Amino acid sequence: MKITTQKFGEIEIPENMVIVFQNGLFGFEDYTKFVLLKPDNSLFFWFNSVENPEIAFPLFGLRMIDEDYPQKENHEAFGIVTLNPDPLKVTINMKAPVFIDQDKKTGYQEILDNENFSLYYNLFVE
Amino acid sequence: MLILTRRIEEEIKIGKDITVKIISVSDNQVKIGISAPNNVQIFRSEVYDKVIQNTVEATKTASTVKVDLSNYKIHKVK
Repeated sequence: MKITTQKFGEIEIPENMVIVFQNGLFGFEDYTKFVLLKPDNSLFFWFNSVENPEIAFPLFGLRMIDEDYPQKENHEAFGIVTLNPDPLKVTINMKAPVFIDQDKKTGYQEILDNENFSLYYNLFVE
Repeated sequence: MLILTRRIEEEIKIGKDITVKIISVSDNQVKIGISAPNNVQIFRSEVYDKVIQNTVEATKTASTVKVDLSNYKIHKVK
């Protein structure tokens, strides 16, 4: 199937790559189908709505930052990354992780009731 | 908005599955207990709003911002 992305233009992906978020993402509940792309030269995964190309952002594995980050069985926890031209201002959302089961191709977003996890955690240091 | 007056230990039902109970009241704080089915998500509104705002910001910057990460490393939680 063909999908349109802001980052990579129009691309062809196999249908079995589509990840279903039954409840969507917070604030974007109407969109339930996504693809997770990992360009060779990119540190980030790129998460794109299949239904609305304007909804697309980088994701980064939260266990890469915090070995003890809570994960559910078979689901990997990703944080939504907010880019900035200054790497020291690039942040990752540790408060509302995106959980993805890459085998079953399903996912969901959660808000963790834990004040230790910031919505804007600085992802890089010099 | 529906406004109800309740005393400590009294409850409110929202539909048949959700119960809200007033646990305690102090000067400027109310402690509330909520019973709801597992599929009902409960959030503090200000946190929920900020989560959405964060996603909107990430979406806005994603396709336009270029960032050179060559001299930086991942900031790990200690």
